[in-house]
Amino acid sequence: MLSKMEVKQSNLKDGATPRPTFSIFRDFLFLLPFVIFVVAFLILPTISIFISAFQDPSGKFTLQNIKDLFTPYIMNAYLLSIKVSLFTAVFGALIGFMLAYASTFGKLPSWVKSYLNTFSGVASNFASVPLAFAFISTLGRVGLLTALIQQIFHVSIYDLGFNLYSFWGLCLTYLYFQIPLMVLLMTPALEGMKKEWREGAENLGATPSQYWLKIGLPILFPTIIANTVLLFGNAFGAYATAYALTGGFLNLVPIIIGAEIRGDILHNVGLGYALALGMIVIMGITILSYNYLQSKTARWLK
Amino acid sequence: MKKAFTTKFIVVLLLVVFLGSVVFTGCAKKTTTEQTGTGNAYLDQLIKAAQKEGELTVIALPHDWANYGEIISTFSSKYGIKVNELDPNAGSGNEIEAIKANKGSTGPQAPDVIDVGLAWGPTAKEQGLIQPYKVQTWDTIPDDVKDPDGYWYGDYYGVLAFEVNSSVIKNIPQDWSDLLKPEYKGKVALGGDPRTSAMAAMAVAAAAIANGGSFDNVMPGPEFFAKLNKAGNFVPVIAKPGTIASGETPIAMMWDYLALTDRDNFNGNPEISVVIPKSSVVAGVYVQAISAYAPHPNAAKLWMEFLYSDEGQLLYLKGYVHPIRYNDLAKRNVIPEDLAKKLPPAELYAKAIFPTIDQITKAKKDIADNWDKVVNVNVKQNGS
Amino acid sequence: MKKSRFWAWFWILLGALYFLLPLFSTFLFSLKMKKGVLSFAAYQSVLKDPQFFKTFIFSLEMSVLTIIVGLAIIVPTAFWVRLRLKGLRPIVEFITQMPFVVSPIVLVFGLIRLYSKPPVQLTRTPLLLVMGYVVLSLPYIYRSVDNGLMAMDVERLTEAAESLGAGWTTILFKVILPNLKSALISGTFLTFAIVIGELTMASMLAWPAFGPYMALLGQNRAYEPAALAIMSFALTWAAMGVIQWVGRTSFVKQEQVGGIH
Repeated sequence: MLSKMEVKQSNLKDGATPRPTFSIFRDFLFLLPFVIFVVAFLILPTISIFISAFQDPSGKFTLQNIKDLFTPYIMNAYLLSIKVSLFTAVFGALIGFMLAYASTFGKLPSWVKSYLNTFSGVASNFASVPLAFAFISTLGRVGLLTALIQQIFHVSIYDLGFNLYSFWGLCLTYLYFQIPLMVLLMTPALEGMKKEWREGAENLGATPSQYWLKIGLPILFPTIIANTVLLFGNAFGAYATAYALTGGFLNLVPIIIGAEIRGDILHNVGLGYALALGMIVIMGITILSYNYLQSKTARWLK
Repeated sequence: MKKAFTTKFIVVLLLVVFLGSVVFTGCAKKTTTEQTGTGNAYLDQLIKAAQKEGELTVIALPHDWANYGEIISTFSSKYGIKVNELDPNAGSGNEIEAIKANKGSTGPQAPDVIDVGLAWGPTAKEQGLIQPYKVQTWDTIPDDVKDPDGYWYGDYYGVLAFEVNSSVIKNIPQDWSDLLKPEYKGKVALGGDPRTSAMAAMAVAAAAIANGGSFDNVMPGPEFFAKLNKAGNFVPVIAKPGTIASGETPIAMMWDYLALTDRDNFNGNPEISVVIPKSSVVAGVYVQAISAYAPHPNAAKLWMEFLYSDEGQLLYLKGYVHPIRYNDLAKRNVIPEDLAKKLPPAELYAKAIFPTIDQITKAKKDIADNWDKVVNVNVKQNGS
Repeated sequence: MKKSRFWAWFWILLGALYFLLPLFSTFLFSLKMKKGVLSFAAYQSVLKDPQFFKTFIFSLEMSVLTIIVGLAIIVPTAFWVRLRLKGLRPIVEFITQMPFVVSPIVLVFGLIRLYSKPPVQLTRTPLLLVMGYVVLSLPYIYRSVDNGLMAMDVERLTEAAESLGAGWTTILFKVILPNLKSALISGTFLTFAIVIGELTMASMLAWPAFGPYMALLGQNRAYEPAALAIMSFALTWAAMGVIQWVGRTSFVKQEQVGGIH
């Protein structure tokens, strides 16, 4: 870490005025609110996760919960959660990017962009029971669309193998809040793309696609990836929607955690917390690898 | 250099706050008050003490469940005590967690009383989370649903029934075996996840009994649902009033009182038929208890007195549950005629099976352990 | 129609279909409360309840507080991390993403354990709830602000401003914030939506918020929850419209100090 900062210092461009020296005090002033807040309201309250993950139902220290994580049942749950999150993150990012791009650069009337943004704001959190019910009433067995298709084409999509209450149905439902999230995150970044770059590129004879390939996308790349990782985390931790739609019949990690902790039946809180710990580890790995990837490509970009 | 300092600072800060919190969470006081006397004089005393406290905090009491909406508002206006309602969606486990998390705190977020499944009574007592109190009508509560020391006791029960949207389903299933018929393809659902909901687990147990099993052997239950799933009749959606009304889950396994309440609420739109399957009538008992750390112990006791008085028990009856003192009320002829008529005929309840706590615990565990193996595997093959 | 415009419209229309259809089905269902006819009976039933507006306004107030606190904490942090403490970036990002994997029920019980009794008793005021909300919104606010900072190439901007002799407050308020406008609005949108719909924490901390109200109603009713979903959607939309309008008029003099190279 230290060496990276030293390297940064030496990257000062020629002729630039040296940065004013900043005391450690200044560093703290900027960072202190964040540190205090996070410690007080995020880390301390959830320290119980770390402690309870290593306790058995009677409170004694044990590694059994961690060992239990490696049963096929739990491993499959992690796999399923990762699959759903990955799929909806990537496609949510893709489609969200397309929509944001279309509204920013597609030369559409300006009301489109403002409506899209407002809608995205609302939709990005239209989740859990209302969303599940909305999809059930659209694509469920007696849903609006299902009935419509039945009337027009005389065929039931359920007979053709479609099933809302499945992996694909869940992904379709998740996309409802993933895509708007991406739109909201991407639009400011796209707006910030300096017009001068595009005009400059045009003046030099580049086509729009060349501009995008060589300049636009590479610049946006870190942001796109960072946003996709956020979408991944968003889906990974989602509980209410999955529960409302599939009633706990799809084994996602948050559902199992909920079952263990909420426990009318199962009540191995320690295992629940161990599962949460596992999720934290996975998120940590994801973020570290994305940061690593990003630093590598940043160097290549420069 | 800068970063190392920052890290050190963070670590020190963390340690300080952590140590501080550990020191201060050590002291939690229990709020038991002695029960003194019986009779009207005692009750007046209790009412005054409760009114002085002014508040009561309850948890996990949906308004349309056992008529709790009317019970809460009647209690509140009768005694002038404000009732704080925490998470109506909470499960029994959440209620226990809420007591634990609020050890030693006062304030409207600390629950005074809990309403949990039968099997939770002894657990809560073991963990020292509840305090004993015997209501005036203690002797009329059946022995097999109360703790001899008064820590917890049953408040009401219901039996497992089929809630059928009869506007959509013309041929109403009468028993478990009917559910396998091909005409019910994609129509049968549970009211919860058997791994988290006592109601759903009891439904699976009821299926077991209908298919040759018992509370000591619940395997036929998950097996039945596997058959149901394979036949394509089972819908893996949690049945809620909305999905029943829309026809998405037109046949749902719910407690009879929930089904009957829906029938009233829907007001014919759609029509609801409530069927108590002949081959197995499984009863689910819920128990009330006072938190050992209740910030308003007198209000809590008054609440208990209210619930177990004739007035409270009849309010329960209005919500279609069988109040725990039903037999006593019937014997003394205090049940209004029109109210008695609204419940399904008593003969249907004659064969009700009341599992013991041990049976419930074992059955829940067996169902939870085997549910995924027998049912989920197939669900995944169907859809994912 | 120009090719690019065709594709732009295509994507927008496809998106509109996907997003509006489920809403329409919900709306249709909410009209079916009275047998055989379409009516607004479910909506009337909800609007008659004084709790509806009371809880919505409470949640509105909470969201304003959350946004203020959240932005006040995140903006300096994101700014400083991007500018000076690049090494801390993975750690800060990891921390801001942790709320995803900490379920609200775990968080709220943890908060109650720590802050419901003396000496630090925060449960008497909504402050604890606001703090909980800020934690839940942390990932979204941070990402929005960070995106905005990246888009404005904050390093070059700060360098330029410094070389022109600007002090730190000038830089922060006259250079950085105006350029962050779009990102701040995004962050505000996201936070607002989270707070309005949040259920677990508000109900466990015994505050009269909109989320618990919706849950109580939705527990045993069929048509009212659908009406409620549509109404909360509409109200949230209106509130966001207000946010956008405020954002547009308050930063009247938006000088893009970028573009110097």
